[in-house]
Amino acid sequence: MAVLTRGAYALPGTSLDFKTGNWRSTEVPAHVHAKAPCHGACPAGEDQQAWFGLLQQNNLEGAWRELVSANPLPAITGRVCPHPCETACNRVTLDGALAIHNVERWLGDRAIEHGWAYPAAAPAADAPVVAIVGAGPAGLSAAWHCVRLGLRAEIFEALPEAGGLLRSGIPPTRLPRDVIDAEIERLLAVPGITLNLRARLGRDVTLDGLRRSHAAVLLGPGCQEGKDWSVQGAVPVDLHEGLALLREFMDVGAFPPGDRVIVHGGGNTAMDLCRMLKRAGAGHVTLVTASGLPGPETDPGDVINVVPRELEEALEEGVEIIAHATINRLIMKGSKVTGVEVVSLRKLKGADGRTKRVSFEGTERVLPVDLVVPCVGERVSPEGLEGLLRGGYLRSVDAWGRLAADGVIAMGDARGDRGTVAEAIGDGRRAALAAAALVAGAPEPQEDAREVLQANALNTRYYPPRARSAAPKLPVEARTFEAEIEGCIGSDAALAEAARCLSCGNCLACDNCWTFCPDNAVIKTVELARDGSHYVFDLDYCKGCGLCAAECPTGYIQMVAEA
Amino acid sequence: MTDETRLSELRAKFGRVPPAPDEPSPKPLTLREKQPRFEGLVSGHRACQGCGEALAARLVMESAGPDVMVANATGCLEVFTTPWPQSAWHVPWIHSLFENAPAVASGMEAAMKAQGKKTKVLAFGGDGGTYDIGFQALSGMLERYHNILYVCYDNEAYMNTGIQRSSSTPHAASTTTSPAGKDRMGKRHLKKDLLSIIAAHHVPYAASASVAFPADLQRKVRYAMGIEGPTFIVVHSPCPLGWKHASALTIEVARRAVECGLFPLVELERGSLSNVMPIRSPRPVRDYLEVQGRFAHLMKDKDPRAEKERDHLQALADYNIATFGLAGAAQDANDTGGAAAVGRGGPLVGGM
Repeated sequence: MAVLTRGAYALPGTSLDFKTGNWRSTEVPAHVHAKAPCHGACPAGEDQQAWFGLLQQNNLEGAWRELVSANPLPAITGRVCPHPCETACNRVTLDGALAIHNVERWLGDRAIEHGWAYPAAAPAADAPVVAIVGAGPAGLSAAWHCVRLGLRAEIFEALPEAGGLLRSGIPPTRLPRDVIDAEIERLLAVPGITLNLRARLGRDVTLDGLRRSHAAVLLGPGCQEGKDWSVQGAVPVDLHEGLALLREFMDVGAFPPGDRVIVHGGGNTAMDLCRMLKRAGAGHVTLVTASGLPGPETDPGDVINVVPRELEEALEEGVEIIAHATINRLIMKGSKVTGVEVVSLRKLKGADGRTKRVSFEGTERVLPVDLVVPCVGERVSPEGLEGLLRGGYLRSVDAWGRLAADGVIAMGDARGDRGTVAEAIGDGRRAALAAAALVAGAPEPQEDAREVLQANALNTRYYPPRARSAAPKLPVEARTFEAEIEGCIGSDAALAEAARCLSCGNCLACDNCWTFCPDNAVIKTVELARDGSHYVFDLDYCKGCGLCAAECPTGYIQMVAEA
Repeated sequence: MTDETRLSELRAKFGRVPPAPDEPSPKPLTLREKQPRFEGLVSGHRACQGCGEALAARLVMESAGPDVMVANATGCLEVFTTPWPQSAWHVPWIHSLFENAPAVASGMEAAMKAQGKKTKVLAFGGDGGTYDIGFQALSGMLERYHNILYVCYDNEAYMNTGIQRSSSTPHAASTTTSPAGKDRMGKRHLKKDLLSIIAAHHVPYAASASVAFPADLQRKVRYAMGIEGPTFIVVHSPCPLGWKHASALTIEVARRAVECGLFPLVELERGSLSNVMPIRSPRPVRDYLEVQGRFAHLMKDKDPRAEKERDHLQALADYNIATFGLAGAAQDANDTGGAAAVGRGGPLVGGM
């Protein structure tokens, strides 16, 4: 501090000598990169906020590169994903969640159209090779992430085409075949990935052989066998299991005859099947499900587990749904079914605290039918996996999918508690991380363990209102077996959606902290600061008032306890 | 004087000749020195946590400086920026008395005029120094038509001396000299409508602004700086200590004051209303009152007097909204919603 005699005048600017930072009592502002809720909710591990941020800067290819750093199949998930990201989106409290799903599809299609190259360097010629069983979404994702991590990937697929359930289980009205072809072909062209077709586990290759010849074995065989289904022991002779029927239809192009069809189950396969049957000309298609329909009175845990827009479209198309019910009895004429007895039921907590299905006597009703299709789920085909299956699945207790056998990692539907393409893609990424850790001899792979930013951490006052854009949809009359029902959102609407992103937990460089600090303790930098923002806190002068944190729109600034 | 000579004079005065690209700079500038804005009021001042007035003064200096000098009335601003032997000011600055800042500024302006200089004179005062004690000096300054921008930092009481009510304290606010209790619900009288009195001097420009809308505040300062003649801006500056709210809520409180209609943001030129900031969706006065301890006595639901005073304040807000036409017809880029909008890379200019 300058020493001045009495009567002297103050030197200009000398108050800078007085460090008011020691006035802070308990809390200090900090830049906290919390996870955006979309990122936290994404089963594939995408950071939607990050690529929306790049879209806001009009860097479309950069946005796609960021997107595929987690999910290499955006044109596909942009069509089939139930988008939990949108459910989690903090903008839902303002003027509707972002249309992330539609923008993802637009960006994925754009990458195919412009031929943007997948961003990964070719792995070294002598890099360890990882064996991947199954070229479905999990296997393809695992292969991509292996290459990103510097490993080579060799995929073994039983069928003559890559794609797995994308081809066999999802109708072209949701996922056109040319999109699958284009996206998978581009991904498989990434150097470091080799694909062996018609190589079935247990017939052409064995697990033990793969374990000997490769650094790790990632298993993504999917679920190929329908679960056994009977009603009190009765099984109709012409039983068609749901997924098999769907697959058959995609190959043959026709369903078994029947005007009155009952589908039993409550998943996306059941829903797809109902809609296809209806479109194929069945007069009455009825879904019998033990779950409830979404509504104010239904417990969220009890709602039918399908993509909401699919349910909406199915109802539009005239599929009937009997909720909270099950099939109690099959009425057979010989070994052919002619009717079913349906009974109401609820999932109720029993005395032991477990949820049980309780059917209510006196609610039985008989429906005449020509065809009953069970869609009650599938399990892993045991071929080549003897000794690894637990209850029909490759169950794994850890998040990475590691199995008891050393260096064998399970992923996708085969794990038994998965159900979406996005989950399979996320599993592929985690399995590749686990394989890379194994190869490197690292003890544990690392997952992003940051907290998810809650809506109350935002200051939404600073976001101008902007309505959500909707993607076009085919009217019910125009829906066929081939034409895609949902259309593309278009570039203008996609970029308008991008501008709606709140950037939860990430710096917008909006200058609010810099403008509002009464103590000039926020310093702006032209270069990017170490934490990825354009601001640093000068704690020499910060009195800890908390204004910057209160006025930060994105919750990126938070008051934390003084170290 | 040509612009060129004026520029070289300023460069000589402030020593900010940027070095030529090939010329090694003597000492690399620190991040703080490289800030892309003029810092007329620097850090190290002794304002409380979350001080609205320190923020307002900094915002004003950013847009007014660097070629300015300041006459400051007694008050918080004077006390916290100049604890002897230090000063937080990076411009010539003088303090004389509580009541005479406009008179001192008038003399400074006359001296500049006599020397043929164009340095703009600013006069700063709090609401005590402006609404009450320096009021006649201010009136004289306006009447004599000095080329001065007077900025009043309105924190609605004598905060420096311990929260005594001023003529700017709003109706029903509790202060140490208008305490709420058995007999009274805080201040009995109304907030003085100073802006109308200023406007009655027929000055070129008089405006109200708020720290919650910094872009609007700085636009008004720049506009006033461009006017040759007396101009006046009153800035609503919350005081966490005197208003009894958390220091992090300074901006929120100021924003609610504007959005409920109790502190209208208006501009008057030559005595007539020339512009207002419309309120996108007016919020109830209760939202503004409930976050401040000085209105805590109005939040007692069982007390009929509290209800009456709340209704009274709501009526005053409604009166402002009706008088100044603050209820905008449609969403507008300059209303309270549009003025706050930000996007990636900064405030959204013309954002809705």
